[in-house]
Amino acid sequence: MTSKTEIHKKNLEKIFYPESVAIIGANKVRGTVPYDIIANILKADFNGIVFPVSPREKFIAGIKSYQYVVDIEDPVDLAILVFPSSVCHMALEQCGQKGIKSAIIISAGFKEVGGEGIEREKQIKAIADKYDMSFIGPNCLGVINTDPSSRINASFARKMPEEGSIGFLSQSGALCTAVLDYAQAKHIGFSKFISFGNKADISEIDLLYYLKDDPKTKVILMYLEEVSDGIALMKAAQDVISKSGKPILVLKSGRTSEGASAAASHTGSLAGSDEICDAAFKQAGIIRCSNIEEMFNIAIAFAYQPPPKTNSIAIITNAGGPGVLTTDAAIHDGLKLAVFSDETTAILKKNLPKTANIKNPVDVIGDARADRYNIALTSAFNDPAVDAVFVILTPQSMTDIDLIAREVAKVSSHYKKPVYASFMGEADVKEGIDVLQRNKIPHYSLPESMSKAVATVYKFNQEKHDIVKKERIFNDLKPEIAKAILNNAIAENVGYLTEETALKVLEAYGLPVLESYLANTSAEAAQYAEKIGFPAVMKVMSEDIIHKFDVGGVVLNIQDTEDAKTAYETILKNVQVKQPDAKVKGVLVTKMVSSGQEVILGLKRDPSFNSVIMFGLGGIFVEIFKDVSFRIAPVDEISAKAMINEIKSSAILRGARGKAVSDIQSIVESIMRLSKLATDCPQIKELDINPLIVLEEGKGCYIADAKIMLSINSK
Amino acid sequence: MDKIEIQKQVINVVAKVLKMDALEVSPAANFIFDLGADSMQSLELIAGFEEEFNIEMDEDKALAVQTVSDAVEFIHGYL
Repeated sequence: MTSKTEIHKKNLEKIFYPESVAIIGANKVRGTVPYDIIANILKADFNGIVFPVSPREKFIAGIKSYQYVVDIEDPVDLAILVFPSSVCHMALEQCGQKGIKSAIIISAGFKEVGGEGIEREKQIKAIADKYDMSFIGPNCLGVINTDPSSRINASFARKMPEEGSIGFLSQSGALCTAVLDYAQAKHIGFSKFISFGNKADISEIDLLYYLKDDPKTKVILMYLEEVSDGIALMKAAQDVISKSGKPILVLKSGRTSEGASAAASHTGSLAGSDEICDAAFKQAGIIRCSNIEEMFNIAIAFAYQPPPKTNSIAIITNAGGPGVLTTDAAIHDGLKLAVFSDETTAILKKNLPKTANIKNPVDVIGDARADRYNIALTSAFNDPAVDAVFVILTPQSMTDIDLIAREVAKVSSHYKKPVYASFMGEADVKEGIDVLQRNKIPHYSLPESMSKAVATVYKFNQEKHDIVKKERIFNDLKPEIAKAILNNAIAENVGYLTEETALKVLEAYGLPVLESYLANTSAEAAQYAEKIGFPAVMKVMSEDIIHKFDVGGVVLNIQDTEDAKTAYETILKNVQVKQPDAKVKGVLVTKMVSSGQEVILGLKRDPSFNSVIMFGLGGIFVEIFKDVSFRIAPVDEISAKAMINEIKSSAILRGARGKAVSDIQSIVESIMRLSKLATDCPQIKELDINPLIVLEEGKGCYIADAKIMLSINSK
Repeated sequence: MDKIEIQKQVINVVAKVLKMDALEVSPAANFIFDLGADSMQSLELIAGFEEEFNIEMDEDKALAVQTVSDAVEFIHGYL
């Protein structure tokens, strides 16, 4: 961790647990941000001293007010700045002089407004650095800590949330207030609630590390509008998950891609910013959610119940249809129905009506009351094959909803196995749901949401130990060769490497290139083809031609010497007609590998995540079907295998419909080597290996074509 | 009108708009940070200066003026 990170870590403690707070820029006008923040702090029973600071008021909310923060005789742990942005720097400077190390800058009018606002933000950041201060914001709603030892609501939200174990971080202040309202209605509590606004000083990364060590936080939720340092975010997430086991759920807006159309490679056009974000989050173990509801559905499953030890569940329902729906959803999400023991079956048979279904899913029948739910629940919890229980209820005339909810809470409190409920409906089941929520039984309007949430919890707990990746160390790499080629090209202002040169770079990283020679006459071409062996392939090499097929610059399946001579002449003639200005370096002669599966490997640079590696089934349809997967380099063996398994057409590689099984391990190897090339050589802007021809299992793979685009200005 | 006279009149306007004693208004005082002017009072100050000096100021530029002495310089430019 950097020293600034250490400073933030120390100062964050005073943001959440201050013993004294100064509200700078306070006033007496109810309904204004400065006044409401003071009112919120007082209403929340803050365990500390409050100092309003106002240029003109002597008393605010009955508390003595000071003209300047430096006038306060006592020490101040936390400053909350609510002045207009034009004078925030003056207030912060005084905070520094006073020795205050922690601040929350609520005021807007900084980077988000552009122009002068950007300068103002730089100014306050410089002041904070000068005094080793840390601040949250500017342009934020504030911070809430529900821990009874502090109980600070340093925000202008309408309400103080219930105490809980969910830590919530948000880049948007307005979303925070909506989330607080949503959570209050469902009795969802928070440990820490933080709106971090422009994150000019303390970022989401610092806050993630803080919540990692916060004993009150079990689950971390985050709303992000942009990822400014993707690599740091991934690293922080991996640290949090691997060291604390706390899950991180992220709602990230901005799913539209940008700039893809301008890309010169397949990888460039397929890797939109959102796809990259998705891949990066997955790789870092972050659970990405589509909306607030889904995020809280999963969060309460993590926060309220222990994780299921296996994916073996029991479903208890009073209605057949919903039982089937739940079963379908559970199986779809990777859960399985437990097979009850003989003892469980006997108890259920003895105590439930004859019409009941005593197999899993257990149907206690529509007229079931709390006693039948009790029997089914107790039996399921006691069965060693069951590791989680789903309770479904639909409201019939005789259904004692409230009592059943209490029964679920009571019975489950005696077991360490998790329970989840879906009381289906709205008005009639409302009170029952309230009982469940107050008793921290995760409730879901739909069984499908319940199934998805529980499957997510199970999967996270299965995978959390593999989050930190171990990059393979290769001993046969020749990075100096690759770097020399790339630097020479850049020195000569070449933006695109011909296949012949690109192959040399790839070969230096042990990627499987075929023997090839550059011919400058038809006789040479024939001679090289003979040397390599037929059938051969010839391709035009020119830095001016990116798409060789489009100019008739490729001849496949050359069978003999005469064919080779003709092919050479044909290629030159075609190029002369279609792109007469192109400078031709020669014609590359290689062996033709015809019996294999074509895949594509690629590399693209991303402003947030840097090196993005792509894999997909190759050939001419790659951009139509978009059946590709991404990972951020470095890519380890587990991730490389996951990339291959993730694409829909991976079954083809595994030998679908009688086809030979492809050498998947050789692709894994190539992905890892490409990943190493990507991290070692920032000179490469985009790279396509298309196709990589994969032979049968054990026979390897070969690069049939490759192109490399360079970043001019980087060495 | 010289700057000393402008300053005297500026301080009088500030004291009137912000409802304070003119003796509390120093030339270095920042309208917001030291004198506690809010956004509405900032607009009232501009209107007060325009009336006092019989000038019409560029509102955006006037709002960017932060201290009494800066206001004196700014108004001097209009006279």
